[in-house]
Amino acid sequence: MSRATAAQRVASLQWMVWPAVAFVAVMVIFPFGYAFWLSLFDVKIGQTRAFVGIGNYNALVGDEQFWNGLRLTFILYLGALLIQLVLGVALGLLLNRIEVAKGLIRTVLVSPFMLPPVVVGMMSIVVLDPGMGVANYLLKSAHLPTSLFLASTDFVIFTVIMIDTWQWAPFVALIVLGGLQSLPTRVFEAADIDGAVGWRRFVYITLPLLGPTIVTAAVLRSVDLLRFFDVIYITTQGGPGFASSTLNIYAYRKGFEFSDIGYAAALMITLSTIVFAAVLVFAQLRRKVAW
Amino acid sequence: MNARRGNHLVRVLRGVQIVVLMVVLFAPIAWMILSSFKDRVAITQYPPQLWFTPTLENYRQLFVRTDFLDNTLNSFYVAAGSTLLGLLLAVPAAFAISWHRLMWPATLTLFARMAPGTLFLLPWFIMFSNIGLSGTHAALIITHAVITLPIALWTMLPHFDGLPRELTESAQIDGCSSLQILLRIALPVVMPGLIVATILSFIFSWNYFLFALVLSGIDSKTAIVASFNFIGEGVTNWGTLMAAATVIALPPIILTFLIQRRLVSGLSFGAVKG
Repeated sequence: MSRATAAQRVASLQWMVWPAVAFVAVMVIFPFGYAFWLSLFDVKIGQTRAFVGIGNYNALVGDEQFWNGLRLTFILYLGALLIQLVLGVALGLLLNRIEVAKGLIRTVLVSPFMLPPVVVGMMSIVVLDPGMGVANYLLKSAHLPTSLFLASTDFVIFTVIMIDTWQWAPFVALIVLGGLQSLPTRVFEAADIDGAVGWRRFVYITLPLLGPTIVTAAVLRSVDLLRFFDVIYITTQGGPGFASSTLNIYAYRKGFEFSDIGYAAALMITLSTIVFAAVLVFAQLRRKVAW
Repeated sequence: MNARRGNHLVRVLRGVQIVVLMVVLFAPIAWMILSSFKDRVAITQYPPQLWFTPTLENYRQLFVRTDFLDNTLNSFYVAAGSTLLGLLLAVPAAFAISWHRLMWPATLTLFARMAPGTLFLLPWFIMFSNIGLSGTHAALIITHAVITLPIALWTMLPHFDGLPRELTESAQIDGCSSLQILLRIALPVVMPGLIVATILSFIFSWNYFLFALVLSGIDSKTAIVASFNFIGEGVTNWGTLMAAATVIALPPIILTFLIQRRLVSGLSFGAVKG
């Protein structure tokens, strides 16, 4: 009996998809549309809502805090992404050469990114406290300059980048390690014969072959970094002042602290568009680096 | 001889790099756990102390003086409930998606993964208030299922893809209903995948902060939201805060041990094989 006739005889399983699709429609697609709808209104608690069309989006353009949030979102995004990809590739290459204590090393590597972000935030508050924290104590002991870390207007976003890198660079490293281990060994044997060693071997052979793996890691980190919320909200709530009010934090504060719901919805729709755009760009890039 | 000595040096350097890496990654976690056993005096001592007399006072404070035990139980109910709901929706869907090679429902669930949680919160807040579910466990279980559904679905997909088609076909010819095929024939084969999906879903629901921050009430407040409130209220010292952090960190760390090798592929939505 051929597969086609067997498949014709058998009942369709398609109905099994519908509960999940219905759930996503009600909980994700509908709220998305509803948020867009809200963004077209001036909605504040205790006031009748008024249709303002693209008024909220127009207001964004003139809102200094919106541009501040956009700038911080991109500093955090690009800074953390670049550092984590470079560190991740370096660590992946290092891990690929390690033959002992693999289990222990893997356990330590996965621990940071399996911790709840809230725990990472609380840990940062205690470790990075400018006065009593152990981080500044160690810096002082090593005769290095100390820092206000999360309490510093200039340094807070870099501190957040540092914290996120501590948590997620190991994840990138493990993805890269998986990529390295699935590379065809023939290529490296051929490279050995051709005498490609060290840096040249890395730049001309390993790195291009790792391209798809690196892009995959970049997509996964992009989605999380552009929406970054937990650690900032727990440690600084967007402060000092607005120094760590990324778009997501700013939107949350507008919506839930100032109850400016229509405007907050416009901010969130804008941020979502940025996330989807980033994912689409990387999807294109993924096609380009495929081999 | 020289080459061999060079090799040896490279190895030692690699070893040193690895040790430094392990210390950098583990030290903050160790510091958190150590601090949770320090008393009020030791925790504020400067310079910070590595050696001190450990005390369980912080844990006693946490569980006796605050509602943290109830909060932890809430976290457990929400994580368990949303894991179950996520699996009930995702496992049949993954089976059908794999069998019929339908990609669009799988792609659809990725929307939930990509959009910022704050986007859903406003509509959800209004929706749940309107139907009187605001502040209940049910609201948290349903919203956390938005996190667990894509994780479970994408973890199960490659496992169902690995199932021989003949298995399902012959069962259908024998007259099994599609639900019977899933439960009696397919699930036992993909059990390892189901375990990973369950554990990952539980961890991610347990760890999730934002939805409960807005949608939980006094009776449904999760441990994570409660400990966030500790920071703001200033009712607790650092020691108690670190005790709370240690308690919250325990379940994910323990569960992670069980599925370490499959963790990364599970977290990458099918993009990484491992």
